[in-house]
Amino acid sequence: MPKKRREELEKKLAEIEKRVLEGDPKAAAKQHAEGKLTARERIKKLLDPDSFVEEFMLAETQCTDFGMAEKKQPSDGVVSGYGKIDGRPIYLFAQDRTVLAGTVGSAHAEKIACVIQTARKLGVPLIGLYDSVGARIQEGLTVTTAIGKVFFENSIASGVIPQISAIMGPCIGVASYSPALTDFILMVQGSSQMFITGPPVIKEVLGEEVTMEELGGAKIHSEVSGVADLVTKNDEECLSLIRRLLSFLPPNSQSAPPRRETRDDAERSVNVLEKVVPEDMRKAYNVVQVIKALVDDSDFLGLKEKFARNLVIGLGRLNGYPVGFVANQPMFLAGSLDVDASDKGARFIRFCDAFNIPIITLMDVPGFFPGKQQEEKGIIRHGAKLLYAYAEATVPKITLVLRKGYGGAKQAMCTREMGADQLFVWPGVELAVMGGAGAVNVLYRREIEQSEEPEKTRREKMEEYAERFSGPFEALSKQFAHAVLRPAETRRGLIRALEILREKKEERPKKKHGVMPV
Amino acid sequence: MVGKILRVEKKVGDRVEEDEVIIVMEAMKMEIPIVAPASGVVKELKAEAGQAVEADQPLAQIE
Repeated sequence: MPKKRREELEKKLAEIEKRVLEGDPKAAAKQHAEGKLTARERIKKLLDPDSFVEEFMLAETQCTDFGMAEKKQPSDGVVSGYGKIDGRPIYLFAQDRTVLAGTVGSAHAEKIACVIQTARKLGVPLIGLYDSVGARIQEGLTVTTAIGKVFFENSIASGVIPQISAIMGPCIGVASYSPALTDFILMVQGSSQMFITGPPVIKEVLGEEVTMEELGGAKIHSEVSGVADLVTKNDEECLSLIRRLLSFLPPNSQSAPPRRETRDDAERSVNVLEKVVPEDMRKAYNVVQVIKALVDDSDFLGLKEKFARNLVIGLGRLNGYPVGFVANQPMFLAGSLDVDASDKGARFIRFCDAFNIPIITLMDVPGFFPGKQQEEKGIIRHGAKLLYAYAEATVPKITLVLRKGYGGAKQAMCTREMGADQLFVWPGVELAVMGGAGAVNVLYRREIEQSEEPEKTRREKMEEYAERFSGPFEALSKQFAHAVLRPAETRRGLIRALEILREKKEERPKKKHGVMPV
Repeated sequence: MVGKILRVEKKVGDRVEEDEVIIVMEAMKMEIPIVAPASGVVKELKAEAGQAVEADQPLAQIE
């Protein structure tokens, strides 16, 4: 090529690149006015300084219908590439509202699909920042085809690499299924919405009037639908939370989660636990305080905190090693298990298992939540998910009974027979096949009926029953539990158990995959 | 949740913070705190000690 020609081409390329990187100031101002950052600003804030390498910057739509030939722009409304977070490589894409309003065209969707596929092949985490008004209808069937590729790649990458989605603007219609197929969804209060059918369609088909926020804002998805894992106040908080979440996770399913050095003593006594957990079984307490007292530096990242609040899930560290916590929350529904709690717990257990994160289960469960409503909603098939997830998991599993465990709900909180490698009880536990009142009615029905003072007999039998099943001795003599942990020595006990389980290897029968009761 | 009101810990006009206990009810043989879903001022209370309550029954209004 003649030198002059090459220089011309280089000049042209530099001009286009400059234009793309600078972006449209008017569109950026609009984004800022809504309290949001642009895609490129987000990437800069998310990644380690100067670590971003952009790919397919000049990709553009091949569509010429409906004036697209004139409207097309380089990047096609999404920025993609790789970079580093805390020195660890990640792949990412960020939909760009300042280019074609972030509409999803076929080039745009192909870029996203390519990022996911590459991240999977290289075994690095994927982060998606969503902010788009939806599919670009000018492109017709090619768009939905390309979006289909994104769904496929999200599904295939599931369980291979951690996939984190941040909804930082609208993510509506069929596009919401891409984050739905990933492991975690973060939403920004006020600026993010997710829904399948929007207000105009709902009005037309059902005659209902509903706002975008009522339909799919952060509040709905974090409290009612359970779609969102984390909610943040603004873009900055969202991006820093992604970094924090990632700090607990390995890059892929073949690696161990990263250890973080801590000054928090592994042998530390946790004297506060005696105060946090009341001896009176009838009194509730906040199990999050128990978890925070146990983990390194009180650093616990709760997930889906306001959905199915009767079960707490989240990530913390013990002696530097990341662990997942699953704990009954007596503050809500007495800590019983219902449909939503089962669903929430099972999904988290499977995530931990897929990414080699040991699971610590804190049991204080009165049973499955009773009633017609729960049966109608299918507590049988939903509760089965928890059993299935625990049995399937081959990561180290440690269960600690804080106060009580009744009936089948015990198994759903990971007993030895469900695969707990270490099961501890606190000294004051109560473990039984069912609660005292119910048990006495079955075991002593005749005595109670024939007694001259049935109420007195019933009360006496209940006291006898409680006596028999309270305390750790039944659990210890029947090998239900490995050992007792005193509350104050709980942290030390869990850390030692984790240490002995570190190299645990457990195989399951070879099969395509199980049929989980989803 | 179906159960019985044990105690009402706040009164109309009280300021409450998110997750602060407003009412304690008894259900499933446990004392269950009913906490404020958001910070605000108690505008209305429809619960008194001893009263039996149904699931989804509104007990208090916070503004």
